[in-house]
Amino acid sequence: MISIGVDSGSATTKAALVIDSQMAAFNIRPTGFDFLSSAGSACEEVLTNAGLDKGDVNGIYATGYGRNSIKFADKAVSEITAHTLGVHHLYPLVNGVIDIGGQDSKIILVSEGKVIEFLMNDKCAAGTGKFLEYTAKALEVPIEELGDLALISKEPASITSMCTVFAESEVISLRARGFKKEDIAAGLTESIARRVAVMARQVGLKQNVAFVGGVAKNKGMKVFLEKELGVSLYVPPEPQITGALGAALYGVNKS
Amino acid sequence: MTHFETLDYIKNSYSERICQLKEEKKAGKKIVGTLCLFVPDEIIFAAGADRVILCGGKNDTIPIAEQYLPRNTCPLVKSSFGSIVNNGCSGVKSCSHFGLVDMIVAENTCDSKKKMYELMGNYVPTYVIDLPQKPDSSAAVKYFLEELNRFKEVMEKLTGNIITAEGLKKEIVSSNETRRLIHRLYNLRKAEFPPISGLDMIKVMQKQYVLSAEGFKKALQDLIEEAEQAREDPNRADFKASLAHRPRIMISGCPMPGGNTKVPEIIENRGGLIVVEESCTGTRSFWDLVDENKDPMTALAERYIKIPCSCMTPNDRRIDNILELAREFKVDGVVHYTLQFCHGYNIERYKVQQALRNAGIPMLSIETDYSDSDIEQIGLRVDAFMEMLS
Repeated sequence: MISIGVDSGSATTKAALVIDSQMAAFNIRPTGFDFLSSAGSACEEVLTNAGLDKGDVNGIYATGYGRNSIKFADKAVSEITAHTLGVHHLYPLVNGVIDIGGQDSKIILVSEGKVIEFLMNDKCAAGTGKFLEYTAKALEVPIEELGDLALISKEPASITSMCTVFAESEVISLRARGFKKEDIAAGLTESIARRVAVMARQVGLKQNVAFVGGVAKNKGMKVFLEKELGVSLYVPPEPQITGALGAALYGVNKS
Repeated sequence: MTHFETLDYIKNSYSERICQLKEEKKAGKKIVGTLCLFVPDEIIFAAGADRVILCGGKNDTIPIAEQYLPRNTCPLVKSSFGSIVNNGCSGVKSCSHFGLVDMIVAENTCDSKKKMYELMGNYVPTYVIDLPQKPDSSAAVKYFLEELNRFKEVMEKLTGNIITAEGLKKEIVSSNETRRLIHRLYNLRKAEFPPISGLDMIKVMQKQYVLSAEGFKKALQDLIEEAEQAREDPNRADFKASLAHRPRIMISGCPMPGGNTKVPEIIENRGGLIVVEESCTGTRSFWDLVDENKDPMTALAERYIKIPCSCMTPNDRRIDNILELAREFKVDGVVHYTLQFCHGYNIERYKVQQALRNAGIPMLSIETDYSDSDIEQIGLRVDAFMEMLS
């Protein structure tokens, strides 16, 4: 049984190829303007990496923001279900998932691989990767370095604005007041961690929580979230691909 | 779903109703506009006036209202107000019935409505019925009865007619008949394969206070006849197959006035089957009957004050009602539907969530407005919720 999962996200497109429930290849690329073509390229890439041909694949399953426009997929599944399946495969004991992506954040309460309850923020950029992206720009720090920079801070600045645009001006005014770069970086990270932690407590996440999505690559965010929630989080080596992996596994379960 | 001719009739009944209202006005009948279930139809009808609802479901008139009201006001209040003050300058048309009312009978429910009514009074004569907001206190019914008596006098003054006890009794019996008919229709939805979709039912309920009392009753009778026949239809095999495995959903929360069916459409397009609505456009409007054997004004006060609106405190009756409906209609999951900035229902969500968690019934919260901007985001939540339920 060979299946491919494609996670067509707002910022990046991910594909995972699964052979008999084991991941054999994955690919991550920017989504760009054309959702469909980046999804197609990601699928071709995983096939090449696994040394397989289109004809060998039993099914392609789409998830992510663009899931319904991936015409070559056999079926679409929501990101909530996909992330849950993907994370449960990696951590069978998992009871909760925190996913912070480019355009939304999700909190999922899980029991034995099944979704019990979920909460999403996708109406505004607060608490998402976009917030970090914009504010990192105002700080003149590459987004990849923001987390490490935040970790060296001893006195995080207080960022009170949840609106991305206003947080950007808040960063500029903190700079003008002479705050250290790392303290502002820590303040930004902390503000998202707080926001996400409020959602996590609403759903009742307690133990065995995984942190996935593009923002999980930010080490500072992991530390601040752990501090807020008082638990240690599992972060998979490739936190961006749990959705694609889950979609592929969804296909395996279906047939 | 089975196609019912009565549904087409109901959906297209608006222009006929407008003609009727214009004729009535010409003949000297007064038209009363209402915006809430707490205003008893029976008193309006007993005074010989007609009634039409002014709760706005249209997105187009919201920008007009935003010239007067803060943007962070609930869309229902903005849409209604926009439709009243609209003078057509911005090229947006209000639904015709807004221009036909002689008087608006409002009520003290939420703060947004209360303050909006003060402004509305500048455009159309507006009378506000006060509501005691602790409905279970011993003084509540007494006070509400006094308020309804004052309202009765206002209606008598407006129409020049005297409201008699017999007249009220007749209207109570008639309104109870309508309530029983809606109960019959909802009972059909308890079946494993309901003959009518949730979306169709909501569109029917949205016309409850738009149509005349008689017109709506007749439409209900026709619809029940068609729906009951459909149960015997041999072609139902395909239709049953199409309904199998669709999670049974209850919508609970804010009203859903005509012109706004975004959320039920998303739910039913994505595999859900709405079997009951705990809302003003659903069970709250017809669930309890008025006691026909009591003094009519007392009976009205006792029945209406019990409507489980989130402006009341405590509002445990709503929670009990949700749990009871979930059992009766064999609900798999509840979609808690709220309008943005509707603090009453948005805050009450927490209590509903707790009660449903304890009962082991999953709930999805959706907070939205009348715009189309969040269709995809709501769609994703609904997709995930359906996957979770199946």
